[in-house]
Amino acid sequence: MKYLREMQLADVLAVVLLVGAGVSFWLGSAALARAEDLKALYWLLVGVVTVRAAVQVVRPGAKA
Amino acid sequence: MSVELGTEADEDEVAETTVPPVRPIFARLGAIGAAAQASVPGLYAWAVTVAPAAWSRGGSLGAKIVSIAGLVSIAVGVAMESQWGARARYVSVWGLTLTSAIVWLLVPNALGPLRLDAPRGVAGMIGWGLFALASAAPALGANAEPSGRIVDDAPLRPRAPIRRGDIVYIGSAIVIALALQVVGWRVTIPERALLVRLVTLAAALAIIGAATTVSLARHTRTPLPGVRIRLRAALPWIVFLAMLAAGGTLAWSR
Repeated sequence: MKYLREMQLADVLAVVLLVGAGVSFWLGSAALARAEDLKALYWLLVGVVTVRAAVQVVRPGAKA
Repeated sequence: MSVELGTEADEDEVAETTVPPVRPIFARLGAIGAAAQASVPGLYAWAVTVAPAAWSRGGSLGAKIVSIAGLVSIAVGVAMESQWGARARYVSVWGLTLTSAIVWLLVPNALGPLRLDAPRGVAGMIGWGLFALASAAPALGANAEPSGRIVDDAPLRPRAPIRRGDIVYIGSAIVIALALQVVGWRVTIPERALLVRLVTLAAALAIIGAATTVSLARHTRTPLPGVRIRLRAALPWIVFLAMLAAGGTLAWSR
């Protein structure tokens, strides 16, 4: 039961990170469209790192 | 006379008892051909992205003729499907895509950012996506073969049952991916507009890929390591994320 609870915790964390990555990508793309390149680079980098963290939480060693 | 009356009554009874049962929507879709299924989204995509280009200001007679040829190819594909089988799909798919490409080449400014607004752009993307989906993976009829088999090879058996939660993961990822496609349709510089489209597409693919990995991780037969080990593996990335968040907060607070 505890294992299942921990599994669900990890799943929830991964989903939250994935949603965060989506928001970051959206902000980055919007900044790129407004020609704010530095902000776009920042948000896209945050998105990539967040996606990578989400995958590592559920499957260590896997590639995103 | 009585026999005739009796026969009519029997026929009525038979007619009442042989009313075909109501079939599910996918079974009814599968009963019509693949080209016919794809013709509806194909017509929609043509009406949203090709016809406005051919009939826009500056659209030549050649562009109009080629765009109508795309419609003809759809009609030929639908009409000849019963005789040509799967080859009829080639006519409709390649006919529509090639004629559409030629129209866009003949009227390059018709799809420029100043003439194509965001709703029409998104509608066109959805139309072409549905056309591709309906052409590549049409709905199959129920029990197309007497044995109920559709492919000739050995039956594929699922390695694991699909859990219900998967639709939430993949559905959420698809929603995020679609939301990303709404961004950047008012960019007037073509190079930047193209870059935004490429970035949003790449980001959407990354999100869907990651969601698939997260979803599949729940189905592995080999036991996954404990949460602590998994969090430790993700720790460098989470720390990197925290540093980025702190750096961004500092930079924007100045």
